[in-house]
Amino acid sequence: MNDFDALLKRSFAEAPEPADDGFSVQISRAVAHREKTAKVRNAAYTVGMAAAAAAVCYGAYGLMGLYGQEVLATAGLEVARVHGALSGAPSVGGAAQGMLQSFGAGLTQMLLVFGALAGGAVAYRAAQD
Amino acid sequence: MAARGFLNLAQATEAALIIAAQARDQAAFGELVKRRQGWARALLRRMCSSHAEADDLAQDAFIKAWERLTDLETPAAFPGWFRRIAVTTFLMAKRKQKAIFEEIDDASPIAAEGSTPEAAAGAKIDLEKALAMLSDAERLCVTLNHGEGLSHSEIVEITGLPLGTVKSHVLRGTEKLKRLLEPAT
Repeated sequence: MNDFDALLKRSFAEAPEPADDGFSVQISRAVAHREKTAKVRNAAYTVGMAAAAAAVCYGAYGLMGLYGQEVLATAGLEVARVHGALSGAPSVGGAAQGMLQSFGAGLTQMLLVFGALAGGAVAYRAAQD
Repeated sequence: MAARGFLNLAQATEAALIIAAQARDQAAFGELVKRRQGWARALLRRMCSSHAEADDLAQDAFIKAWERLTDLETPAAFPGWFRRIAVTTFLMAKRKQKAIFEEIDDASPIAAEGSTPEAAAGAKIDLEKALAMLSDAERLCVTLNHGEGLSHSEIVEITGLPLGTVKSHVLRGTEKLKRLLEPAT
């Protein structure tokens, strides 16, 4: 470090500002004012949110009073309709079972027809011979 | 208010004051301001050309510090943390005034160099007057380097200026101060 650097360092170190009470008081006042404003803002926000929630609840209550019964009745009807549609829907298992039953019942007739035809054919062949 | 609960403000350590202020104790913050205002105002007076502007910026910096005090991780980091706030406040104010810190004007003379009676007489000019003759950028970098003992890279970090620019401002500012402060030979 040369002489000038030392001089510079000394000069910088030598010049602290004297304490000024007015400066501290001004900052304390500004901080207190900001805190007060923040508190008021928070309180206003809370009141605003509460008022908005109350308005929403009141509006919902009014709507329910006007249309609630109708809405509930329509909803109940829709539920019943859906339930009916679901329970009345054709079952794939049932349809398959019915088809197999029909096929089983018809099989006897088919065998009888087939047997008669075969017998007829044998009798005709014998008559030709 | 000298005492608050168990904390006697006048005798409390700076760390205790900072912890209390972080818990939104305004009296503790007031005491902290009382203790640190000399340093903060001196720092900003060296960076600004006007005392009134420096005090306004110091006030802004303390109010910002109050608002962001919960961000401070350890009380020991307070001086560096506050210095950063002060420098940022200064830079924002200067940028509002359209001051350009990134530009290095090689032809920039020492303000009113040779025209003042003191300079003409070769008289020793005190530091504050000498600093007032530098450009805003030179004054900022010289104050942080010589006054606050920050390295070039620390100045880069705190100001956001490029390293080459900081080095140049420190060098040119120091040379100007040398011419202004050293007794005429």
